Amino acid sequence: MGLEEKVPEGIMTSTLDSVLNWGRANSTWPLLFGLACCAMEMIATGTARHDIARYGSELFRASPRQADLMIVSGRVSNKMAPVIKRIYDQMPAPKWVIAMGICASAGGPFNNYAIIQGVDKIIPVDVYVPGCPPRPESLLYALDKLRAKQALETVGTARAVVERTAVDEIMPLGA
Amino acid sequence: MPLDVAPILRSYETQRTLNPPGIPALAPLPTGETDDTRRLCERFGEEVVAAGLHNGNQVVHVGPAQLKAIAAFLRDDPQLQYETLIDVTGLDRSRLPLNGEGVRFQTVYQFRSYARNQHLTLVVDCADGGGGDGEQPQVDSLAGVYRGAEWPEREVYDLMGIRFDGHPDPRRILMPKSWHNHPLQKQSPLGGEEVPFTFTWDDPEFETLGTQILAAESAAPDLPPGMSRENMVINMGPHHPSTHGVLRLVVELDGERVVSIDPDLGYLHSGFEKTGENKRYKDFVYYTDRMDYLSSMSNNLGYCLTVEQMLGLEIPERAQVIRVIMAEMQRIASHLFWLATHVLDVSGTGMSLLMYATRERERILDLFEMACGARLTVSYIRIGGVWQDLPDAFVGELKDFIRLMPEKISEYESMLTDAPLWQERLTEVGHVSREDALSMGLTGPMLRGSGVDWDLRRDRPYTGYEGYEFEVPTSDRGDCYGRYRVRVEELRQSVRILEQAVGNLPSGLYKSNNRKVAAPPRAELDVSMEALIHHFKLMTEGFHVSPGYLYNGIESSKGELGFFVYSDGSAKPYRLHVRGPSFNNLYAIDHISRGEMLSDVVTNIGSIDIVLGEVDR
Ligand code: SF4
Repeated sequence: MGLEEKVPEGIMTSTLDSVLNWGRANSTWPLLFGLACCAMEMIATGTARHDIARYGSELFRASPRQADLMIVSGRVSNKMAPVIKRIYDQMPAPKWVIAMGICASAGGPFNNYAIIQGVDKIIPVDVYVPGCPPRPESLLYALDKLRAKQALETVGTARAVVERTAVDEIMPLGA
Repeated sequence: MPLDVAPILRSYETQRTLNPPGIPALAPLPTGETDDTRRLCERFGEEVVAAGLHNGNQVVHVGPAQLKAIAAFLRDDPQLQYETLIDVTGLDRSRLPLNGEGVRFQTVYQFRSYARNQHLTLVVDCADGGGGDGEQPQVDSLAGVYRGAEWPEREVYDLMGIRFDGHPDPRRILMPKSWHNHPLQKQSPLGGEEVPFTFTWDDPEFETLGTQILAAESAAPDLPPGMSRENMVINMGPHHPSTHGVLRLVVELDGERVVSIDPDLGYLHSGFEKTGENKRYKDFVYYTDRMDYLSSMSNNLGYCLTVEQMLGLEIPERAQVIRVIMAEMQRIASHLFWLATHVLDVSGTGMSLLMYATRERERILDLFEMACGARLTVSYIRIGGVWQDLPDAFVGELKDFIRLMPEKISEYESMLTDAPLWQERLTEVGHVSREDALSMGLTGPMLRGSGVDWDLRRDRPYTGYEGYEFEVPTSDRGDCYGRYRVRVEELRQSVRILEQAVGNLPSGLYKSNNRKVAAPPRAELDVSMEALIHHFKLMTEGFHVSPGYLYNGIESSKGELGFFVYSDGSAKPYRLHVRGPSFNNLYAIDHISRGEMLSDVVTNIGSIDIVLGEVDR
């Protein structure tokens, strides 16, 4: 890498945030989880031509415990919604969600009794990808967007949030 | 907690003002007679309401009393030999002008005789199951006569509310257990939500947003009927890497051996049929893409052929050849994907075939993209022809592909066919006998893999398939390996058909000149007022189909893909039913996996080749 010449002592200083984010953004493992037509394009993204491995995301994990990213690739039916919520809850934080395709984003062509009008009604979504289905390139672009978002995360705020909740519990606002 | 499917009545989706008086109308009764209808009339004369031909199909319309006897007669009579029940569906006629005559609910059965190459539609008036107002319809279950009736009947019960007397397992099949209505009944709203572009916090409609959601609670684990707690019961799916989507199987195990399997469907139920009944004919083409999303072209074709046949529309020669090219390319693409995932499932890690097969599949998708701009959800085949003509470069690219493909197929085969591991995992696994395949209503490679020599392309040709030379591969083995061989050989035959099709691609129109049905080409709109008017009429109003009904099946990559359309004369189908081959084939999973190892279940799922979008619709 030529890094050894730049840092001859082998020591670099950086912030914890940027190191963590660098690591997370370059190995975001998606959940092996396909719903409908969009899943076919998700698989296509994983194959040699589009090569999601460039993003360090080729390792689709079947267990939510090992996954960082849920790609909701298709329409979410009423029967499936509790399952998706549960899988999402089983994923360890930090976790991200991409709503792939118009169905996952807003119900798409299926505005009817069976389909939930957007997966964001049950879980929080980080990136929405338009398309029906989005092309593999769009999904890769969504990963780019996600990286930009990941780069902004800081451990500091996470800690701050935790502390604040704790304080809130002891002394609720307005009490 | 009762679920609130936002009951918003979208007036623009239900308005009927554009219809001339006389619409909606009932379908006319069948007329004339054939040998088979005569035979049925002779035997069950007092039951028959009407019999004859309707839209080119043999139709017999009977009362409910003797249904089981009629079905048994159809199957066993040496002059009839209807070995298979292809499809069951229901019809709610409450929005038709019955004028106090006739029952509200009917069931419609499609029978097929492979031996005699005959198809027969049976329409049955439902009996009153109590209440006296015809609101609780009931008919005898045919599951005792044709095993394959079991799931379609459950589906009809679930979506249409018709009860089947004597059904072995009368549960809902697609909707959640606690669902509050039968969505396909005409008084059930389409549901869905208003698009909230113009909403503010203060609008009363705002309250209804998001109420379409079932509470995300885990369902109580209940034991499917027939399973014993003595055995280990495990849950596969709906989130499982090898179930090809959101299929859930409840597997009863004795050690590693499968005792029984109860598939739980509906995790991808998207209400295609209900949606279709609220769209104009031409607008449903786009939905067909999304059912079996691995064979969009075949779905387009099946639907368009059904509507065209009801319209009596002639399709230009060139359009027909283009359709054949697309359908065969789609078959190759679908089989390639099947092969890739099958190998992945069986081996657990074998990514290499996935990479190889998708490499070739991408070439097909590129060709699709050339023709219509989309890779997956193509909507290229439209009512009246195809969307637009093939671009100039297409034929050259396709020829390249045809030249390359046979070698690639041999390459896959060299990795699999004689490989001892592959043989060991597939041989004698998932065995279906010829009789079972017929009785369960299996189609496609599942049927041919059990030694039934039947292919709709050859035996009931459509779209000019009679003009092509190809073989129909079959295998007498009945196991996963036999089906593997059938599909690989089908790849070769499809290449052969493609070769012949590009070889004589005629010039001429790529879609029908009938401007009432097919939109005029874009260039014409600039110069012709008439074209503009046609275009406007077609886009705003659609076209009307004369009252009647039709079932039409085509050979898609997974089996017989059938569409049943009932028209009341308006621009929207009154009833639209899809017979998804994956759905009927998946029924076999319990039967073929019994007594096998748990790991064979995964092999069997792969070998049935399902797409959940089509299973659940
Ligand atoms: S967005 Fe389109 S392609 Fe994706 S799941 Fe929905 S219908 Fe299928």
